[in-house]
Amino acid sequence: MSAAKAKMREKKMRNQPASVQYTSSDVESRAENGGEGDDVRVTGGQSDAHPSWKKQQTPPVRHGWVRGHHNGDGGYDTEMPNHITAGAFARARAAEVSAMLKAATELTCSSHVFRALPKHMRRRAMSHNTKRLPRRLRNMANRMREKSLQAGLKKKKELVKSKSRKARRRHGNLLLEFNRRQRKNIWLETHIWHAKRFHMVKKWGYCLGVRPTYKCYRPCYRAMSSHCLLQDLSYYCCIELKGEEDKLLAALTQLTCKEAGPTFAAAMFLSGARQGSVTVYRAGQYPSDPLGPVTFLWRPQTPGLTPRQLWIWAHPALKQDLLPELQSVCQCSEAMAPPVEPEVSRAEADPAPQAEPNPDNELKAGAKRKRCCKDAGEPPAKRILGDGTRLPTSPVTWRSSSTGIVINDLTMEIVRYRLIGPQSHSVLAETLEAATVCDELKSSPFWWPEHCKDRSNMKLHQQQTDVFNVLKGIYSSGELPPGTVLGLTVDDPRLTLPRQKVKAAPCVNQDQGDEEKRNQLMLKGVPLQCCQSFLWEQSVRENVTDNKISEQEMNRMRSELLVPGSRLGPGPQQGRVPVLLVHQPGKQVGDELGSWGSGWDLLLPKGWGMAFWVPLVYRGVRVAGLHMSLKHSQDKAAPHFPHDYPDCPAGSRFQEEQEAEFLETFRRRPPAKRTNYIKHGCLAPFRCPWQQLAEEWELLATDGGAERKGDGQTQKARKSHEVMEEVTSQQTVAAASPPSFTVLRNRKSLRLLSSWCRPLTCRGQRRGRGAAVALPLSDSAVTSFHAAHKMSVVWVRLTLLSKGKPEAHAMVCAPTAEDLKLFGKSPENCGPQEPPHKDHYKSRINHKKKSSKTATPSQVSDDPTASTDPHSPSDLILGLWPDPLPSVASHCSRVTLGWVTQGDFSLSVGRGEALGFVSVSGLLHTLLRQPPELRGTLLLRNPTSLHYRFVRLNIDV
Amino acid sequence: MVRVKSRYLLCEINVSDRRDLLKLDDRAVAGSVKAAVARTHGDYGAALCSIRFCVKYLNAHTGIVFLRFHKGCYKLLWSALPFITSIECRGQIIPCFLNCLHVGGTIRTCQKFLIRYNTRQLHQMLPKYKNKEEKRKIQEAILSCSLTGGGNKALEDELESEEEDDE
Repeated sequence: MSAAKAKMREKKMRNQPASVQYTSSDVESRAENGGEGDDVRVTGGQSDAHPSWKKQQTPPVRHGWVRGHHNGDGGYDTEMPNHITAGAFARARAAEVSAMLKAATELTCSSHVFRALPKHMRRRAMSHNTKRLPRRLRNMANRMREKSLQAGLKKKKELVKSKSRKARRRHGNLLLEFNRRQRKNIWLETHIWHAKRFHMVKKWGYCLGVRPTYKCYRPCYRAMSSHCLLQDLSYYCCIELKGEEDKLLAALTQLTCKEAGPTFAAAMFLSGARQGSVTVYRAGQYPSDPLGPVTFLWRPQTPGLTPRQLWIWAHPALKQDLLPELQSVCQCSEAMAPPVEPEVSRAEADPAPQAEPNPDNELKAGAKRKRCCKDAGEPPAKRILGDGTRLPTSPVTWRSSSTGIVINDLTMEIVRYRLIGPQSHSVLAETLEAATVCDELKSSPFWWPEHCKDRSNMKLHQQQTDVFNVLKGIYSSGELPPGTVLGLTVDDPRLTLPRQKVKAAPCVNQDQGDEEKRNQLMLKGVPLQCCQSFLWEQSVRENVTDNKISEQEMNRMRSELLVPGSRLGPGPQQGRVPVLLVHQPGKQVGDELGSWGSGWDLLLPKGWGMAFWVPLVYRGVRVAGLHMSLKHSQDKAAPHFPHDYPDCPAGSRFQEEQEAEFLETFRRRPPAKRTNYIKHGCLAPFRCPWQQLAEEWELLATDGGAERKGDGQTQKARKSHEVMEEVTSQQTVAAASPPSFTVLRNRKSLRLLSSWCRPLTCRGQRRGRGAAVALPLSDSAVTSFHAAHKMSVVWVRLTLLSKGKPEAHAMVCAPTAEDLKLFGKSPENCGPQEPPHKDHYKSRINHKKKSSKTATPSQVSDDPTASTDPHSPSDLILGLWPDPLPSVASHCSRVTLGWVTQGDFSLSVGRGEALGFVSVSGLLHTLLRQPPELRGTLLLRNPTSLHYRFVRLNIDV
Repeated sequence: MVRVKSRYLLCEINVSDRRDLLKLDDRAVAGSVKAAVARTHGDYGAALCSIRFCVKYLNAHTGIVFLRFHKGCYKLLWSALPFITSIECRGQIIPCFLNCLHVGGTIRTCQKFLIRYNTRQLHQMLPKYKNKEEKRKIQEAILSCSLTGGGNKALEDELESEEEDDE
């Protein structure tokens, strides 16, 4: 019995009487006394300190034999009187009675007082209200209650008494509370809408919705492929660069390279008619040190303005790397203080909002009341628009004195919504209506009437409206040239909000005149002058944000309409919002499903987020979170930013986080229920050691090149294994830091590699896009290619040829010659099996467990010797390889070429599809040995399985 | 509630010589009960007696013993108790017989019964004794059979009420 259990039992039995009897040694002595000794009656019940009667009663002098007369106890009368003495009899009874009394009435302290009561006397809530107990038990109950309360107090802090719910929900207080909660993480404008419907996470300093609380996987896919899916991408950071065109380009060309695709300077993008995307590198470091992908948009050149304006949109995980790099490239070190003190800080400074002195009895008209408040200069607790986490004094603008470039951080200044799907243009067409012209002669605080006075502005607006009307008629969003930009000024979309949710349908009028315009639009895109928008102007943005009519105001105006339920007319004070529509290209690479997942991005000035969000939702779009944007890029076979950029700092950070998270979930399972990855031959189930893989293949390729000629393939595999052994031993000896791995982004090389990967007798050759240019796959071509791209990995798409669902971190392996022979015979063949590996660490862990169980203090001294062992058992986890991994490439029976970063059953293809990286050297090495008709056939194995499946490798350019 | 149910027999051991009482111990009592059951009911009885049988309490001065039996078979085992004529303890054979005073479902009811039984005995003794000295001793004993302490007045009340009921 454990100590605690014994203690418990002792506590319980404290009041119970022990048997009254004598051990053999003191029977005689007691018999002499004839049971009349006074102390005899003391029973175990009364003697809490002396649990046993026997011990207590053993007289200390009387062990062994005693000779001679003893005075103390009158010891020699062995004769007990034959008759009963009343006193002794009575005393014995009395002692027993009191012992029994104690046992029967006193409680063991573990139980509540009221358990002493019979059932029919128990009352509800006795444990809370002691007055419900009989009076005789109250004292004890009170004592116990105090005791338990004190114990509770120690653990729990006393809760701060909060205001009543009604007070908390009052608008001003609610806003203050929201503002407090936004101080750590930025809230998007649609946060509250999302928080009611989505699982939220705190990521990259924002609160973002991951996925809806309702089931959405297939509906979202269906929306993406047939209707429209909406996402709030306002968390993307916008960085504005202003300056002379040549100076800007000179600075920015350091960050990019033409080899990896069109850069900032490409004519198409520079005009401002298209949005471009590019991978940014650290200045002048092209093949290595990438930062991440950005999209950018030039402002179309206006005749009057010479300095150009450029917006660079970057993922928030990338911003902290990108912004310093841009500053150093543009030599912008001079921070400019923010010009206006934001009102938010003042509102937060005085938490009690006495902002509204007595507006209600003074004025009834809401519009005037608002202005009145402004005149009084007392801003109420105001909604935070934009970045609430930033200090109001921290700079957002940097200027360079030498080049004149100004960098402006527009994070959260512009709202960006993404609509994905072929019908996204019809949703936009139904939601947005081009702004109605208002001709008012007197000057007003709103920007639109002022603009209406200018004839050229009106002409531009008319052109943009025409283009927008033509846009309604196209069949699918994917038909437009990728990256098309359309500037527009629209009415407040709340005015045309439908009463019920409707599903936006494509417009079907097929006019002959429109047909021509439509073709023009589809072929050439939006004319250049229509790409201009007033969203680029900061003053207009601020004016629009400030003059937004609140929801409350809007409803009041609706209620004052003459005919209830009719539409509000666009008056002068209703806002006109400049927006930018940016076409988002769908799947651009690969042969199948061209332009799948294309759509539009809607750029709005801040503050108007919800005003556009709800009307969009009312057009029957489906809203998705981060989860779906990952799936979207996966179906497009495009790398998704932090996940699939392992060479970028943000990507490696993400990988570490992901590994820690996976490891945490793995360790939470009971050891017997965990997958033993060692037995599955999976070295790194939670991360991909790209660096190690690239290094190993590098060494293998240089060593293997010499031996290639004489060896057959089966020997080769074994050879490579031996080589790997050497490699690992070499690595441990000479740990010089080799160059880090790179991801191959050179378009020419990618095209070449892509043509090599295609099987010769397959359909792919007929397309002949790369085949005409490509060199045939030969030893010399491979060596030269390899020399150019050492230590690099390449982004590939793998399509499963049979069933199977690839998972993340699955291994991409090279098939042996026998595998290929089998595959050639029956393509439906499921693929080879990996023989199970042996877990050598298991015994060590078990041993450690055993030793720790039996460990005594003397054994602890042995531990230092044990910890000198490289894999000391303390950091071993059952089922995972300890940290210095053995050779990753040749650990299994088939050599590993790379890993999968994203894999799932693809709903668009109807088959398992995986995306990942493979080592270039490994891939070339494998391709050379494959028969031409089976070129590009590889094996894929999930980390939790021993089964290899055949996959077709595609490199999409 | 859900629990293992037992029957507790409150028995009195009657001996011819009072001095022999002090030599008893619980193991000897248990042994003799088992032997008696085996003798009267054979192997079946012996087996039943091995289920949850134990001597919960033995007072060597008053000769009170609590026997616990399984509830399912206590009647059978009980029927063997009259056949105990002697208890062998420490090499000595003590002639005795068991007299069952009470059968209870819990040990607590047995204790309560014992309290009542003993106090009644003492009260009955009191008027019979003529010797002043002994009478005083008995009175002392009666007074002493209550728990001392402030919180137990109520218990005394309870006890008194019980006594009243008995009379």
